[in-house]
This record gives sequence, C-alpha cells and structure tokens, in this order.
Amino acid sequence: MDRPLSHSSFLPPLFSSAPHPLSPPHSVPHPSAAPSVNAAERPARWSPYQDNGGTVVALAGRDYAIVAADTRFSVSFSIPTREFTKITQLTDRVVLASAGMGADRQYLHKMLHTRLAMYRHQHQRDMSLPAAAQMLSNTLYSRRFFPIYAFNVLGGIDSATGEGFVYGYDAIGSHEQLKVVCSGSGQAIVQPVLDQQFSGRQRYSVPDAERAPSLTLEQATALVRDAFASATERDIHTGDALEMWQITAAGVRQTRYELRKD
Amino acid sequence: MADTASSFSLTVFSSSGKLNQLEYALKAVNAGATSLGIRAKNGCVIATEKRLPSALADDATIRKVESVTEGIGMVYAGMGPDYRLLVQKARKVAQTYYQTFREPMPLAQLVRELATVMQEFTQSGGVRPFGCSLLLVGYDAEEEPQLAQVDPSGSFFFWKASAIGKNMVNAKTFLEKRYQDDVELEDAVHMAVLTLKEGFEGKITERNIEIGIVGPDRRFVALRPAAIRDYLGEVE
Repeated sequence: MDRPLSHSSFLPPLFSSAPHPLSPPHSVPHPSAAPSVNAAERPARWSPYQDNGGTVVALAGRDYAIVAADTRFSVSFSIPTREFTKITQLTDRVVLASAGMGADRQYLHKMLHTRLAMYRHQHQRDMSLPAAAQMLSNTLYSRRFFPIYAFNVLGGIDSATGEGFVYGYDAIGSHEQLKVVCSGSGQAIVQPVLDQQFSGRQRYSVPDAERAPSLTLEQATALVRDAFASATERDIHTGDALEMWQITAAGVRQTRYELRKD
Repeated sequence: MADTASSFSLTVFSSSGKLNQLEYALKAVNAGATSLGIRAKNGCVIATEKRLPSALADDATIRKVESVTEGIGMVYAGMGPDYRLLVQKARKVAQTYYQTFREPMPLAQLVRELATVMQEFTQSGGVRPFGCSLLLVGYDAEEEPQLAQVDPSGSFFFWKASAIGKNMVNAKTFLEKRYQDDVELEDAVHMAVLTLKEGFEGKITERNIEIGIVGPDRRFVALRPAAIRDYLGEVE
C-alpha cells in the first residue's frame, strides 16, 4: 500500500510577519510594520508561485471522455515556449490535465506516475478511475499548507461499465465528479460555452426537451475545438496549439490542432 | 549495557540458522485452540473452537472471528491479546487504504500489509514476534474467494483449505480427504463443522464454536449462535 507523504518539509517560506504565500507581493502591510512606511514603497516579496497560464478542459459522454488543453507556456506577457504539454496519461483509460504553474504540474505528474507504478506492482493491475481521483485529492490535500499550484481536471472511462467520467479539482484537493469541467486562465470563457452547449444549461432559445442533447464523440470534439478557439481570441495566455485526447473503450487517441499564436 | 539493550532485536539467529523466538511463537500457536478455513467456489468459511477458561466465563463476550472490513474476516490460533492488536492494525490499514483509493482493500493487499507488520516484529528492537497465526478470508480483485494464512514470521500462504492450532495435523488430514475444488459454500460450512467436531473435547455446541462466512454477496458475516445451531443440527 502507498505510504502517505511525509509533510514535515512542506512548509512555506514564512517569517512571523509575512503574508499568506498565495497572496500577491503588494498586499496590505502587517499591522506591526512601521506606520510611516508607505505600502507602495514596500519591495515585492519573492513568491514560490508563478502562473504559467493556459486552459484545460475535460468532458464526459456516455461512452467517452475528452481531455483537452492548449500548449502555451506564458510568464506574464512573455511566451517562453509554445510547445508545453499540460496533459499526462495515468493509466490505459485515465488522463490528467493541469493548469497553473508549470513546475508544480511537472512535479505532480511525476509523483502520480510513481504512485501508479507502485500500485501496479503491488496490485498487479492498474488503478481504477475513482481510486485515482481520490488519490489525487489526497495528494493535493497533503500539501494543504504549501499547495501545489496546479488546477487539475481528470478524465477517463470506468473500467467496468465503459461510461465516461471527469473530475474537477481545486489546488488543495477539493474534487467533484462532473460531466464537464475546465480550469486555467481561460476557464471563465470556456465554462459558460460548455455549460450551455454540452450540458444544455441556460439555453432559453431552445425548447426544454432539446436543450441537453447527448453529443457524440465527434460533436463533442468539435465543440471543444470551437471553445478553445474562442478562448484563444480573448485570453492572451491561451493559444498556440490544442492537444485533444479522446478516451474510449478502444483506447486513447491524441490529436493536435493549431490555434492562433498571437 | 541496559540502555542500549532495547535497541537490539530480541529475535536473533541461532547457530543453526533458525530464529528460536519464531519456533517458540509457533509453539504458542500450536497450543492454541484449533481454527480452520475452507475456500469454496462461491465463498469462504472460517471456524474456530472457542475454548473457554471455565464454565463461569461469559461466552458471548469472547469473539475470535472478527470482521476487518465489510468483505474481509479473520480468525486466529494462539495468543488472544496479540490477535486483538492485529485485528486493530488490520482494520486501520484497510481504512487508510479506503481513504486513499475510495475502494475496499483487496484481500491480497491486506494480507501483505499484515504480514509486513508481523515481520517487523521479528526484526525490531525490544519487541517479540506475535504469538498467533491468522486465517483471513475475502474476495480478491479478480472476484475470486480467497483464504490466506499469516504466520508469526510474517510468511503468508494462500490455501484451498487449512487448519492452525492444537489439532491442525488431524484437521488437515481430514480436510485433505474431503476437499473438492468445486465445493459449494454450504457444503464447506458442513465440512468445517465436521472437522472441528473430529478433534473436539467434550460436546460441541453453538456456544463453544464460532463460524464466519463470506459469500457471493462479498459481505463477511460472523454467524450468530442461532445460525450455528442450525448447522450443527444439519451435520448430526
């Protein structure tokens, strides 16, 4: 059985008067600071975190799941690379995508692969989707006081029934099983589109009965492409290329589509 | 020196390559009341003699057959207090597993963990090995019923049928003659009762034996005395 992580070393670099590690450097000065110091003159504090942008999406159909992400890696207004994958395959039928900080994402993916390999050795079979979902949640929570800056979506199909499921997470492991979820810098742009077109919500222009059509894999793929195209237009951190992973009972298929590079 | 003595293991090799503490632990096991387990094609049964210290003892409060999870049960032969601790450890291990994977722990994984614990007590400072062997039953990940035995040394074996404790040799011979690969669970329960009866001193009643069953519904149940009485009636 996997041993829990030892978290004695996972403490943020804090001194007694420091603000919360996730707050921006120019925050409200600590009450004990000298009152004559102007808050605007306070030097920016080093942060262990960096937002490398990008958007990730996962949605689940009756017998498929799609996990998609753009490949742009940004640092504020610069683009260090246009080719950085946010997606990793955990098992035959489970795929994970993470938005947020590139370094933490890499660390998380590497750690999960190790845990999955250990599970596979001990159990002589792959971890199931619900088990992987819970394990990811526990892994994130074990870093409750120095979070892994990764906003995850997990998608796959249930090994027994072949039904598609996705899970959405926050940085400290709160998770929920859903049919469609997205995360990252383009979340606010993509989520409403998918809510309406995939889940049939707020579709007042269409009669009730027709609002939530059950989309096929091809229709869902087209929808995700269009959603990313929209996000690319309005979100500067999303673009370059789209990696689309389709998971079905037959296996996992990866396709790449170009997105606007500006 | 007294202060460093406890940092050395009490279980050390003899010159002939044996661990005497383990030999003695097995003696403790063999002095204990007989327990046995049988794997059927549609489930497993474990049974044990509940040897009471005296007629004044309240048999209802003595529990040898214990559930570890909804689907896994265990029984022992040997030292009762050591067993109690192992039951607690097994339950905690299973819950920790569930907390991580949100799935019931497969029997094989639980057996490994428990066996690892028992092995640690043969190689750690200031502790002695556990004085009991365990029999565990449950369904594994491939949906097959399984029976496993764990010894004080930490070695574990999966069996079709096995017995531990005082009368184990006769019981195993008895089982070897009667066991069939495709035995039904009901027949296995009868076989278990008959095997216990063979080596029983005195009259066998529903108050001085315990039976635990895991069936196709994957739920482990320690039978109530009334159910045991029914089975005893059936083998008369």
